[in-house]
Amino acid sequence: MITYKKTILANGLSVIANRDKTSRMAAVNILYKVGARNENPNRTGLAHLFEHLMFRGTHQIPDFDTPVQMACGENNAFTNNDYTDFYITLPIANIETALWLESDRMTGLNLSEEACKIEKRVVIEEFRQRYLNQPYGDANMLLRALAYKQHPYRWATIGLSPEHIEQASAEEIHNFYRTFYHPSNAILSFSGDMAEEEFFALAEKWFGGIEDHKHDIPSIPAEPTQNEARRQEVERDVPATTITIAFKMGNRLSRDFFLGDITSDILAGGDSARLYEHLIKNKRLFASVNAYITGDVDCGLFVFTGQLLPSTSEAEAEEALWAEMADLQQNNISDYELEKVKNKFEANTLFGELNVMNKAMNLGYYEMIGDLSLINREVDIYRSLTSGDISDFASRIFCKENSSTLIYRAKR
Amino acid sequence: MKQPPLTTPSSIDMPAAVCHKVANGTKIYAINCPEYEVVRLSFVFHAGTITQLHPFTASATANMLAEGTAALTSQQIAERLDYFGSYFDINIDRDYSYITFCSLSKFFMQTAEVIEQVILHPTFPAEEIDTYRAKRKQQLAIERRKVETIAREKFANAIFGKSHPYGVSYSEEAYDTLSRENIAEHYKRCYTAENCIVVCSGNINPEVLARIESIASELHSAGNTQTISLPPFETIHNVRHQHDGAVQSSIRMGRLLFPRTHEDFIPMQVLSTVLGGYFGSRLMQNLREQHGYTYGAFCAMVNFQHTGYLALATQVGSEVTEDALQQIALEIEQLQNDKVSEQELALVKNIMAGELMRILDGPFGIADVTTENILCGFDNSHIQEHLQRIRATTPEELRDLAQRYLAAEDLVKVVVGDFN
Repeated sequence: MITYKKTILANGLSVIANRDKTSRMAAVNILYKVGARNENPNRTGLAHLFEHLMFRGTHQIPDFDTPVQMACGENNAFTNNDYTDFYITLPIANIETALWLESDRMTGLNLSEEACKIEKRVVIEEFRQRYLNQPYGDANMLLRALAYKQHPYRWATIGLSPEHIEQASAEEIHNFYRTFYHPSNAILSFSGDMAEEEFFALAEKWFGGIEDHKHDIPSIPAEPTQNEARRQEVERDVPATTITIAFKMGNRLSRDFFLGDITSDILAGGDSARLYEHLIKNKRLFASVNAYITGDVDCGLFVFTGQLLPSTSEAEAEEALWAEMADLQQNNISDYELEKVKNKFEANTLFGELNVMNKAMNLGYYEMIGDLSLINREVDIYRSLTSGDISDFASRIFCKENSSTLIYRAKR
Repeated sequence: MKQPPLTTPSSIDMPAAVCHKVANGTKIYAINCPEYEVVRLSFVFHAGTITQLHPFTASATANMLAEGTAALTSQQIAERLDYFGSYFDINIDRDYSYITFCSLSKFFMQTAEVIEQVILHPTFPAEEIDTYRAKRKQQLAIERRKVETIAREKFANAIFGKSHPYGVSYSEEAYDTLSRENIAEHYKRCYTAENCIVVCSGNINPEVLARIESIASELHSAGNTQTISLPPFETIHNVRHQHDGAVQSSIRMGRLLFPRTHEDFIPMQVLSTVLGGYFGSRLMQNLREQHGYTYGAFCAMVNFQHTGYLALATQVGSEVTEDALQQIALEIEQLQNDKVSEQELALVKNIMAGELMRILDGPFGIADVTTENILCGFDNSHIQEHLQRIRATTPEELRDLAQRYLAAEDLVKVVVGDFN
């Protein structure tokens, strides 16, 4: 249970605070409601590039990192398809340093040609290091392009190609900043040993004077219903073949999200879960196997993925995954198994509430998805799900015409 | 608006660990933080890879502990831990293996039943070993497609010697000859009372402590602590390894130095932080910010029981490999020729103090630092000395250390990439 209070400043900035009396550290999180899903298909990777540019300094504070570090703090950021998140942890005595820095870069960013040029190079190296120079590095990109035809989830956060990043113009970068980086498109959240009202007063002090520039944010194309089994097979120089089968499912606030999540726990939540026990230990078909949901804000994916042992044929492996799905559809879930995944969910929720950074980040996240109070209701929602609900979910979602199968074959 | 004033912490608090010794000699270190309703319990054995007699035995033993015991099958173990939302973690390095369990306080007693089985009564079933070997062999083959993995292994070979226990790496095929007997022998020899320390944190009330003591007191005694005699190190200085098709080269440089207990270890940590220990470090400024050659570059001191070393690592575009190497050399030379400014040094000191504070914020981090202290022969009051030593470092000292320890001819340089 995370206690919190929330306020909205006159300029539209949402502010949420949690008091944690056990910690000497403070966490400040600022989330901008912009991710790869907001990108133009001809200029992908821009949200992530922009996350990098946010560290290039402003006209007033040319170096962002040094003041954080002088304050004994640490900061970082990440971008995904739905949002961009920046966070700082530092001793609570230095909390205002974090607010000074975050409020400053909401408006005064240095987007000089030089800054953009260097950051583009860094991002292109990241593209190479993480997606091109790694075995299976492009698997996720292939899967997205197969499963989504219209929705921008069809590309990964890094973008469709390094050229998109290379060719982003100064004007496009400036427009991006104006459109997405302003108070009413942001959420400021905090956890640390300070009264919530005291934090609100500090938020007002540092962010209250920033003018909001509301922009029309282009609508995101909806993904049409899938009505055919999709399949792609590629061959790469990797040691083992992997098979991935993805199914479309509901958005983050739908009931399907929770059903998908608990179903993935039954299949792959820990070493006693079904896929590991059945397919790795008993049948010895896979070296590793997993089931997970992408948990995106819009229509997400339920993904099965497994890496075959050399002795396993592709047909055998694929069949085994479908057999696991059929088993769920026929409602073979015991009360014990259900209780286990519910307990585990509850414990993991508690373990996740042990540090200030997780808490500040989660508060921002739940506000972003549009239901802050959900942060403390999820355990009860999981508790309410029945085995009938799960088999119904499995029957609706795990069907051929909703599937996208990627065979990533090892070259012999 | 104006920059707010800064506060620099002058001291760091760390609770003392209370040591309880049980009859067979095992020491239990408890850090009680009753405000957290969790228990974290670690068993640390002197059972790292240097103690193994056959390739991959040390990691296999640690990883197989929970794969079947006298009273429970691997599936039952996994079931019970999952049912109570508890989990465990296996870590292994050259010197030690670390077996760590976490549970909610309300389920600790049920979790302890499993812990007792895993630590005291593993049976290492043959069929589980088969599964494990096949899985790990494939994982290792995949890992070795990555330039950074190859560079890491080649670097250890180069710095310690190809067949030295600290430097050796084995082919994937060595998994084929790993037997149940190897594992059972390793367990019997290394997982003993004399070879173990236990560290626990969270809500350690008297019942919890008594239960931990009951498990620790059952560890079998070997009569004496294990002694390892290590052969001399054989360092080679330049390695280039061709990896066809790599779009980036992986670079590792560094040299053999000394363990954490050496008087220069902490100032060398300060020096390595200046060079590559944070986002704005010299290497990051040069290679990432000025040149855009890389996504990241790092440098750190690494501590082993019998020695320690400095290592720096980066991955750079293939076409800029030679220039990146030259830039790294220039950065090291600069540390030898020019004193670090007071401003930069103050920054680095605050970064290091901040890191200590962050690690120590919460019961799990406190337990980790306690473990590290014990293995080095320190108690938790050492954290103050550690902070003071960081604060006492001067620009002259860093320049002198760079001259003494980072001479170009002493450095080991490993590059893995496509040179064609």
